[in-house]
Amino acid sequence: MTPLFGTLTEPDSFSLAEKLIFVALAAASVCLFWLRFRKVLAIILAARLDPGFKLFPLATRLKEFAWEVLFQAKVIRQRPLPGLAHALVFWAFLVFALVTLNHCCVGLGVGFLDPSSGLGRFYFAVAALFAAACALGIAALFVRRFALRPVWLGEKLSYESGVIAALIFVLMITYLGAFLVAPASAGARILWWLHTLALLGFLPLIPHTKHLHLVLSPVSVFLSRGSFSSIPPLAGDDDFGLVAGTDLTRLTALQAFSCVECGRCTEHCPAANTGKVLNPKEIILGLRGYLNESGPASPDPLLGRFIPPEAPFQCTTCGACEFQCPVGVEHLPLLIGLRRGAVNTGSWEDEAGGKLFTTLERTGNPLGGSAAERDKFLQRLRLPIFDGSQEYCLWLGCMGAYDPEGREIIADLTRILDHLGTSYGVLRKERCSGDSARRLGNDLLFQQLAEVNLETLAQAGAKKLLSICPHCVRTIQEDWKEFGNPPAIEHHSEFLARHADRLPRQQNDEKIVYHDPCYLGRYRDIYDEPRELVSLAGTLAEAPRSRERSFCCGAGGGLAFLGEETGERISHRRAEELAATGANTVAAACPFCNTMLRDALAAGSAPTTQLLDIAQLVARGLPEKI
Amino acid sequence: MKIIVAIKQVPESGAPFKIDGSGRWIEETDLNYNLNESDAYALEQALQLREQHDGEVVALSAGPDRVQSVLRDALAKGADRALHIRCDDRSGRDALGTARLLAAAIRPESPDLVLAGLQSDDVGHGQTGVLLAALLGMPHASLILQVEKTEAGLSVKRELEEGWLQMIELPMPAVLAIQSGGNKLRYATLMGIKRAKTKELRVVESGELGVDLASGLVLDHVSAIRKQKSTQFLPGTPAQAAASLVEKLQFEARVL
Repeated sequence: MTPLFGTLTEPDSFSLAEKLIFVALAAASVCLFWLRFRKVLAIILAARLDPGFKLFPLATRLKEFAWEVLFQAKVIRQRPLPGLAHALVFWAFLVFALVTLNHCCVGLGVGFLDPSSGLGRFYFAVAALFAAACALGIAALFVRRFALRPVWLGEKLSYESGVIAALIFVLMITYLGAFLVAPASAGARILWWLHTLALLGFLPLIPHTKHLHLVLSPVSVFLSRGSFSSIPPLAGDDDFGLVAGTDLTRLTALQAFSCVECGRCTEHCPAANTGKVLNPKEIILGLRGYLNESGPASPDPLLGRFIPPEAPFQCTTCGACEFQCPVGVEHLPLLIGLRRGAVNTGSWEDEAGGKLFTTLERTGNPLGGSAAERDKFLQRLRLPIFDGSQEYCLWLGCMGAYDPEGREIIADLTRILDHLGTSYGVLRKERCSGDSARRLGNDLLFQQLAEVNLETLAQAGAKKLLSICPHCVRTIQEDWKEFGNPPAIEHHSEFLARHADRLPRQQNDEKIVYHDPCYLGRYRDIYDEPRELVSLAGTLAEAPRSRERSFCCGAGGGLAFLGEETGERISHRRAEELAATGANTVAAACPFCNTMLRDALAAGSAPTTQLLDIAQLVARGLPEKI
Repeated sequence: MKIIVAIKQVPESGAPFKIDGSGRWIEETDLNYNLNESDAYALEQALQLREQHDGEVVALSAGPDRVQSVLRDALAKGADRALHIRCDDRSGRDALGTARLLAAAIRPESPDLVLAGLQSDDVGHGQTGVLLAALLGMPHASLILQVEKTEAGLSVKRELEEGWLQMIELPMPAVLAIQSGGNKLRYATLMGIKRAKTKELRVVESGELGVDLASGLVLDHVSAIRKQKSTQFLPGTPAQAAASLVEKLQFEARVL
């Protein structure tokens, strides 16, 4: 009986000369691979160890590995069509591991998977399906790169990518072809040799091209620092961040060599999209260039030839790059590390930045407000002082205490708290959480602010904090851990959504578009809570870029205080996008987004679009006080 | 070039404060302290001069133990060493007493230049720098925005009223009282604070300086300024209201 499908045809035997040629070629290929790969490995291993790195718990690492590598979930989800094409190639490679091993063994006369056996017949048939899918996938990727030419892949065509794509295509076609030729025919022999040559030609191309990601990116993903924008502790008295090659760690080096140059980071970067020098992909490639030329023992500064000195300071730390990266590159520790290196050594000279730091040193807040001004605001709103008896300690933050709009948000939030009967109090004294200092890489200032605040909170006996500012929330909850045990803190969207059933539902069909703040979304995974609150106040509309793909307002990373941007203003770009949804109202959930987008909307094409915080939207529905 | 910078620690500006039981000073328990603002500019000027001409910057402060924190900050910003004259902050001492203490500590150092802030943000006498010059027998200039070293000595830029500036040449050693805002202040850095750990901070007891602190000044009491609010509504159409507002700003408030 003839089976439904044919099976793989292998050459029946090889002459000694053939075997010797095969062995020689294979040895040459492996040697060439190793000679090139050894250099990369040596650079990575020569870098210093990562301070604070913990391998355990493994469960989260394995989960992330399975999700991002094996299932290709991120690759597909964030760029569905090319992602799927890539996944087809990747899955075929996995299936081909056994096929290739057997293929080589056949060349030595010791093939172990008999194509006529039941198992062989089944496995080769399955592999054939994957091979067909892979050939389709790689052809699609080839067309995309060389015909469609997406801008994110860079201006220069990568011909080596074309060669690699062709080799992969040949690998798959020669495999599939072997199903169609007669056993012991010359055709079978030719296909075997073509497959072999493509394979042996492919291997040495891996280490010095972006195809190194085949080997390194699974390791990068598995060995990630474990949390979003994880800023490593400084190790010892001579660690000031990333100043020179000697400061680079193994993870940083590993990630630099893992980059596959897909440009997803740059595609989503607010700085790169508005005409700044910063291009996250070029930062990673610059670092790779530095490592290749100077190496991890070099005292040469990292900022300069390979990485433009101003580039790291144009980063809003929105984290879109790190979130998007499919090969486990963590851009934020690197960009913030470069800032640390420049700021902690005093080599960063920037008028607005210097003023921000000296203002924070003197007044404890970035707006330069005085304690007396804050006191007056407390009195005006009759805010109770936290004395340990109330449930929540309401953390005002600098924007809540000094910024006129921030104060309005606090006023409305306290009205809602009163309505819910939730007890709260505010601190007599508060300093800036240190968010801007932290993101700008001023470790001294950040430590001073964190320590003073931790002591104030400990003295006050605060256990649960509530804040209107996602930046405070992130900094207090995560970054302060380096210096003590911060109390639990949550963003008002989380608190209010939990009590949504006791909040008034407003009867109107006002179209409200919600802007996801980076520090609430990507940093904290809060997407649904604020939307639930917006839905209480009107009809929720979505921006074209929302949730994980939200586009920054331009304020993060201390940039709110660094003065005029080069190029187009990020806030204007975002405000136009929000206004174009046709919504009458933009809902914000961060006082920084609030101030940036408010100004940008007023200056833009739809100046009548109003901007309100989610607390203000909810408070609109409260009964008027009598 | 050896430069001594006399700096003072003052209560954080803009902090709400209460007058203490004696009625002669304010409650100090809840206060945060900072470096006096014009002193920060004096320190910055000293550091810039040293960066241009080499030499040494010594930070000097008189006061209780807490003033060591501003001395440490000065070391972190780049001063080479610090000198702390330990004394009770206000045992009837006036600006002359402070100047005498500082002069006694400065004399054995024989500096090329002494810089002080123009005036303190708390009591605001504005005299310490000038008195220091007299006690040290050095020429002085005050309200200085910028200092340059010349072949002969110093060339300084003085701020006069209404935006006028005056350039003065003077020999060294000299005493200069520095005005705020002449330079950009540097921020403190982690590297600076780490380096500061190994720098010298010497403490001298005020008693050891053999200075007569008897004061000719008697502090009677301190009081808060009573704020007067007088709100006026300007009637008429917006144009009329604006016109009368301009008139009032021009002739009553004299700000236009």
